[in-house]
Amino acid sequence: MTVAPYPLIMIICLVVGYLAGISMHRSDYCMAGMFRDLFLFKRTFMLRTLVLLVLSSMILFEVARLIGFLPLYPFPLLYSPTLANIVGGMLFGLGMVLAGGCVVGTLYKMGAGSVLSTVAFAGLILGSFFYAEIHPWWAAFIKSTTFFTGRITLPQILGVSPFILIFPVAALGMFLVLRWKNEGKLVRPSAAEGYLQPWKAALFLSVLGLTSYVLIGMPLGLTSSYAKLSGYIGSIFFRDHIASLAYYQAIPLKYVHPLTNTYLQGGGGPRFDAISAMQFPLVAGIILGSMSSAVALREFHLYYKLPLKQYVSAFSGGIIMGLASRMAPTCNVWHLMGGLPILATSSMLFLAGLLPGAWLGSKLMVHVVLRR
Amino acid sequence: MLTLNIIRYDICGQICPSTLLTALQVINEYSQQLSDGEVKIAFKTDNRDAISTIPESAANMGYPVTVTKGDGYYLIEISGAEE
Repeated sequence: MTVAPYPLIMIICLVVGYLAGISMHRSDYCMAGMFRDLFLFKRTFMLRTLVLLVLSSMILFEVARLIGFLPLYPFPLLYSPTLANIVGGMLFGLGMVLAGGCVVGTLYKMGAGSVLSTVAFAGLILGSFFYAEIHPWWAAFIKSTTFFTGRITLPQILGVSPFILIFPVAALGMFLVLRWKNEGKLVRPSAAEGYLQPWKAALFLSVLGLTSYVLIGMPLGLTSSYAKLSGYIGSIFFRDHIASLAYYQAIPLKYVHPLTNTYLQGGGGPRFDAISAMQFPLVAGIILGSMSSAVALREFHLYYKLPLKQYVSAFSGGIIMGLASRMAPTCNVWHLMGGLPILATSSMLFLAGLLPGAWLGSKLMVHVVLRR
Repeated sequence: MLTLNIIRYDICGQICPSTLLTALQVINEYSQQLSDGEVKIAFKTDNRDAISTIPESAANMGYPVTVTKGDGYYLIEISGAEE
């Protein structure tokens, strides 16, 4: 029996997104906040659960690879390391802190009624459009600063089996996580109704990441859909210009969908393709999941009488993050929940850039945006 | 007997980390009056993360905290002494 790939992919991504949205809202799983609070308050509670998320994904992906569930390894749209990973990561870190949420945090907060996150979302789309304008220049920069061409992960660069590196890293990491667990550093009391302990959300999100990798052929990703939206909206106003931009014409995704054995392709342009089938339902699912969680808890409420500086911060942070998502290329979800768990060097560089970027964002947030 | 003065802050819908930052600044600002039992500070917030972090920070500073849920928000009340 042959199964049409698009409806299947769309349903899977919608369900995965819906479940992710609920769990992120319940635990307030804000990755931007994790990095910001490290620099601002020296709080590492949430960041510890991100370590668990990366390690858990690492173990799940490796087990799935060993039993033959991941024919695409490394997964598509993951490239050799380049300086662009660091520069993009830095801008991304800055943008996510100013926006008050990363590319997925913005979605679940928006779903729960955050007006500022909706403004940040508009910024994300505008930033993606700005990237399309500078794409030829930036693509040349990526090309000229790529090293280890043809090799993506650390095991590939070192010429060893992934297991040789992943086993010790995962074992050491889990030792650390178990120590945190025994010391009570992975749980905290909360009076929030229906609170989901973030470590449980981390484990659940890693299972959703694996579900996507096995059933779709790659881990969770969503920012190309923001570029597509920018293309659709831009086409309303200046169709010819949008059609002339190289970024919107490119089709970087070309792969065989393992589950249906179908050849699929996709890109950031305003047209329906494999990326649309994966990412639009995922985005919609996250917003709907979070919204239904907030409504069920009677916590959905729109507050819009807020300081102007916060609106400016959310919008400009969104623009920077949208731009950075394409420059890096791709976002924190792709790199931290997908690339890092398979020891992709581009993801390591992205993280190396993300940290100073988030530090700078935290400084700006306190000394400019929230200055009393 | 002193009249208890309640200082109210509405930080609903604000960008993170405005909620925790405001709370910490206000607690520090009124630390003396809090300790003397002259004031009580009430924060209205819809930020689920802050519902953990504000009580934790206030408790670490030695102030008793109560959290109650309202319609679309949580009310975090910090007082200087056990009631």
